[in-house]
Amino acid sequence: MTAAVARAVMSLAACGLGESRREWAFAMQGEFEAAMEDGRPLAFAAGCLLTALREMPSQEHGRFVLANYALALGVLIPTAVLQFACLAGSPFLSSGQGGFYAMLTPDRYLADAYSSAIPPMLALWLLLGMGHLRLAWVLLERDWSRVISAGALTVAASVTLVILTGVLFLDDAGVVRQAGLLAVELTAIYASARWHARLFPGATSGNLAR
Amino acid sequence: MQKLLEALSVRGRQWCHGYDLMKETGLSSGTLYPLLMRMTGQGLVEAEWREPTQPGRPARHAYRLTAAGAAFAQATADPNATSLPFKAALA
Repeated sequence: MTAAVARAVMSLAACGLGESRREWAFAMQGEFEAAMEDGRPLAFAAGCLLTALREMPSQEHGRFVLANYALALGVLIPTAVLQFACLAGSPFLSSGQGGFYAMLTPDRYLADAYSSAIPPMLALWLLLGMGHLRLAWVLLERDWSRVISAGALTVAASVTLVILTGVLFLDDAGVVRQAGLLAVELTAIYASARWHARLFPGATSGNLAR
Repeated sequence: MQKLLEALSVRGRQWCHGYDLMKETGLSSGTLYPLLMRMTGQGLVEAEWREPTQPGRPARHAYRLTAAGAAFAQATADPNATSLPFKAALA
């Protein structure tokens, strides 16, 4: 078990060192076998990972990887969590008896409209949250064609949500704010794709990176 | 860095492996490798690949001081003999 964890940590370290330090990654992997024989593979691997983390900011490839992780872990995943939290906390969506607005309005037809709008809005919020998680995953994999499809799905869900809240005369300030945030996120992802295309001219896929 | 210089200068022109240096100096891999990278970049240490001694094992990197590295080690061991370029390297 320890050996498997240590090997995984060594692989992470080798990935973090990037192309310009490839020879050093191989050197560490060569010594890893000696550390295994000595019964200290995990301590050795952890040190190598620490080295890789220290080296990353000094190289452009490392900075690119760190920036992508910052975008995924610092922006996309918190936004997904926020959307799931909105979903759970929304008075419109979470009330059990036909919705908050349906209870407030005296108009029976409007109350029915609010009640029937709950499932699709619930699905759209879920889709937005899932879309952000998917975006974070494919961004870290640098799979730009899937980034485009996940981005398109998230934009479609966001636009539909804006339209739906507008049609139902609901307070759409939160939805519009989230759509604005999505625009900022997609701009950052586009910048990341351009950076990737510049770093690895032969490895681009999808229109974003061109 | 001083420990590493001492360990390498004791061996003279003999090659040694990273893990042996770790054990000898008591430095962790997280300290040793950044030092080796920096010293190799500065031309104080040279590295070469060694064929594995057992089949199925990966090749290993071996290290030793260059002539400049040996002079640097000598200068840092004897501060009175430190010349200006080595002082600059230490800074």
